[in-house]
Amino acid sequence: MTNPRQNFLIGPISPAAAGALYQQIVDRIKREIAEGRLAPGAALPSFRQLAESLLVSVITVKRAYEELERDGIIFRRQGLGTFVAEGGHDRSRETKLAAAKQLLRDGFREAAEAGLKSHELAELAHDILKEKK
Amino acid sequence: MNTHASNATNAIEICGLVKRYPAFTLGPVDITVPRGAIYGLIGPNGAGKTTALDMVFGLGHNDAGTIRVLGLDHRADQVALKQRAAYVGPDLNFQLWGRVGKAIRFVRGFYPGWDEAYCAELMRMFQLTPNDRIATLSFGAKTKLSLLLALSRRPDILILDEPTTGLDALSKQQVFRELLKAVEEGERGVLISSHALSDLERFADHIGLIKQGKLLLEGRTDEIVDRFRFAEFFTANGTIPQSPEPAGLTILKRDDNRWQALLDQNSDAQKWLESQDVQNLTLTRLTLEDLFVALVKETETTK
Repeated sequence: MTNPRQNFLIGPISPAAAGALYQQIVDRIKREIAEGRLAPGAALPSFRQLAESLLVSVITVKRAYEELERDGIIFRRQGLGTFVAEGGHDRSRETKLAAAKQLLRDGFREAAEAGLKSHELAELAHDILKEKK
Repeated sequence: MNTHASNATNAIEICGLVKRYPAFTLGPVDITVPRGAIYGLIGPNGAGKTTALDMVFGLGHNDAGTIRVLGLDHRADQVALKQRAAYVGPDLNFQLWGRVGKAIRFVRGFYPGWDEAYCAELMRMFQLTPNDRIATLSFGAKTKLSLLLALSRRPDILILDEPTTGLDALSKQQVFRELLKAVEEGERGVLISSHALSDLERFADHIGLIKQGKLLLEGRTDEIVDRFRFAEFFTANGTIPQSPEPAGLTILKRDDNRWQALLDQNSDAQKWLESQDVQNLTLTRLTLEDLFVALVKETETTK
């Protein structure tokens, strides 16, 4: 187990962005874990530290941590702090995949509404993948 | 009632508070501010926010109800209360003290808990110097002085009436950060009235929406914001078949067969809508500011 990173930069979060504030924190932390910037055993900041750095109420951070804990992504040790769980990486990846699927579904629906046929959609996906490279 | 001041669980308890004026009645209002919490009182101008805050600090007589601050009665234990609670309001005027340094020297003498190091830190943060003439300070800088005099006392309770009006975005953020720090040990309490709704959405643990002297809505900020949705839908022939709409559904706008409404998810409104012949129902989250506008407008435009 390691100490919290000096610069735990997951913000900014904002009421104007999509999703509840606590949900935005959940998503950011999952992304940190899924992308390997937070390894299993790594310590997370305390409620207060994160609340002060993100400028949100402690309740908001607490709720985010509770949800991550329920999903088995982080765990708490009384008096020691909060840490990334052993399986946290895979579970974060699962949520990221689910989110990606949903985004693709939304994208395909928009495209269908714009009149694109299935084969055109496949072409479009292919083109976007090429752009990425 | 025998409440022990030292181990009172709540920072502030307001029960059945009523204040009557010839043309306006506040209440009955019930508000509880737990220790360690920031409570945001919001509402349109003239809703009664200032009246409520003034009562808590013992400014004016209430006609009914009780107010307990850290277990202390707001009138019977007035002296003890004022030692432990600080008030910042829009009408405070420190010009008589001439310079910032003199005002600080005067005020700190009253409070044994005065934190000189913190005061110096706040001075730097707010860019005030002891030599500044109070009369020539900008409106925002006067507000900062007022906040500095309250915060440096390290009070157990902060009662703040519009404390960020006239402050720039950075100063506002600094003030809220200090409020977060003030409550972080879970002992103190902050009761704040403000129109800075996006700030309150971030920082306030609890929100109370007051309108025409009545508390319209109260609860945890995240739960309040999460409870409502902006609903958009279409109807085949431009009418909602069965009217009036049920409680929990407030039509905000209508353009022919397209409708926009505020939907309370604690009601049966969504089920009702789905039982009607509506199409393409979409629900979107609202910000506290959106919600405020929708709720305040709702009661204003009731035909």
